[in-house]
Amino acid sequence: MLMLLAAVVVWLGGWWINARLAARPLTGAARLLPPLVFGVTLLLLWELLVRGLGVSPVLLPAPSAVWARLMTSLPTLGADVTQTFLKGALSGYAMGCGAAILTGIAVDRVPFLRRGLLPVGNLVSALPIVGMAPIMVMWFGFDWESKAAVVVLMVFFPMLVNTVQGLAATEPMQADLMRTYAASYPQTLFRLRLPAAAPFLFNGLKICTTLALIGAIVAEFFGSPTVGMGFRISTEVGRLSLDMVWAEIAVAALVGSAFYGAVALVERAVTFWHPSHRR
Amino acid sequence: MKKWMAGAAALALVAGAARAEDVTLQLKWVTQAQFAGYYVAKDKGFYDEEGLDVTIKPGGPDVAPAQVIAGGGADVVIDWMPSALAAREKGLPLVNIAQPFKRSGMMLTCRNDSGVTSTDKFKGQTLGVWFGGNEYPFLSWMSKLGIPTNGGPDGVTVLKQGFNVDPLLQKQAACISTMTYNEYWQVIDAGLKPEDLTVFKYEDEGVATLEDGLYVLEDKLADPAFVDTMAKFVRASMKGWKWAEENPDDAAMIVLDNDETGAQTEEHQKRMMSEVAKLTAGSNGALDPADYERTVQTLLTAGSDPVITKAPEGAWSHAVSDKALE
Repeated sequence: MLMLLAAVVVWLGGWWINARLAARPLTGAARLLPPLVFGVTLLLLWELLVRGLGVSPVLLPAPSAVWARLMTSLPTLGADVTQTFLKGALSGYAMGCGAAILTGIAVDRVPFLRRGLLPVGNLVSALPIVGMAPIMVMWFGFDWESKAAVVVLMVFFPMLVNTVQGLAATEPMQADLMRTYAASYPQTLFRLRLPAAAPFLFNGLKICTTLALIGAIVAEFFGSPTVGMGFRISTEVGRLSLDMVWAEIAVAALVGSAFYGAVALVERAVTFWHPSHRR
Repeated sequence: MKKWMAGAAALALVAGAARAEDVTLQLKWVTQAQFAGYYVAKDKGFYDEEGLDVTIKPGGPDVAPAQVIAGGGADVVIDWMPSALAAREKGLPLVNIAQPFKRSGMMLTCRNDSGVTSTDKFKGQTLGVWFGGNEYPFLSWMSKLGIPTNGGPDGVTVLKQGFNVDPLLQKQAACISTMTYNEYWQVIDAGLKPEDLTVFKYEDEGVATLEDGLYVLEDKLADPAFVDTMAKFVRASMKGWKWAEENPDDAAMIVLDNDETGAQTEEHQKRMMSEVAKLTAGSNGALDPADYERTVQTLLTAGSDPVITKAPEGAWSHAVSDKALE
């Protein structure tokens, strides 16, 4: 009962602090405060409610239990991240996005391909991952190669659409200017059209970061070696070690956000000229 | 919020209106002859005779029976003992009240052309294993044979296989896990002949763990009315099992009638039923403590990361089966 009371107090307290913070203009590092307060309140609420209501750890472990498990399982989690993220997701992401950008350029150059390839790309994107993953395991084996293949399928279409859209973003005036310079197709492509498409390309790249991680994790449910984030999640659920499952989820969230953040940083450096990045 | 409250109120009403003799059973897997006894008992009216209204909920790869009972979704669940004991150690007090399956149906099926024809040929091979709680008998067996499971020329490489037999057909693995009543026949249907295969039954290797048993939450056993209801349930279910053993083909047809997905075929279910009958034969419903001890021993010796770290206490009870057999 005391725990539940404490939970209510924490909730109201967090609310009050954030309401106060939101009322005044925040600058610099202080802008991080409201989300921080929100996160801490949420974790405290979770902890107090789980303890206060005596929720079975099989249904929902307390954050402290998840943290304890995280700290004692660092080598395992590290090996899982290497297998799933570095090997499966990143390689699939590079291959899928690379192929999609090249295809996008080809589609833009040859109208015939635009009519032929785009519908096929659309079809590929509609394939359910739970249907494709077992087939990829059959084709490419149990190790990370099959996971990378699933990731390629998942990221290809969003990237392709963004590339095609981006290449269409060149203003006619700009294209006319390049023409008056007697620029060749490659020159126009590299000096005008790709830079102009960069905001779209980075949109695609950012969307694909999370898709890649999700794809790599889910693909491991359908057959894997005995390492990997998806493998760990599915086996630990079977063992009812929900603390390990949550630890793995926390790591996945962290890795996914870091990946997204890294791409966003590159975007800021490359498209510094874009209005959205001007200060 | 309003909607949520209305929902909660409706739930409370439903729960209040339920009669004491309603029983919800959560299966471990999809509707198939593996659970024929329960479908027979329902279909032949054995449950009705006891005054029970039994709801059978099919499971699947994404359903963990222990979680269902913890969340209040079932009164009694079918589970394998390793995962039930693991749940118990994790703080969910499951108790075995009856054990209709006397023998284990799990085995490792190997291709002869991979060279694995006896247990001393495992080294350096790739083996497919089911995870999610079903890996412990395998790990215990390997630990008994002294073979590491982390690869290398002196160990075995372990794959987490899905619920199909492709890795064996495609030679991605030398051996895969199969059940006598299910996946083994998928291998045969795919064109491999029994003489091309070497089969290691966990039962024969001395590392078998108890499969399909009936589990309930420990605190509910303190209620005599609940024990009474469960005794009726176990008695009717065992009647169903014995009927199914004697009439395997009819039992398979009853299962097919109850398969709402329409995914099962008559031939497969009849074959499964005749294999399952071999596993349930010799059980009157009561758990044999010796089988339990063997299961616990197998789990405690399952390599470096055992599913249970100490022998559980109070994980089984004869309270219900004694009453059912009176």
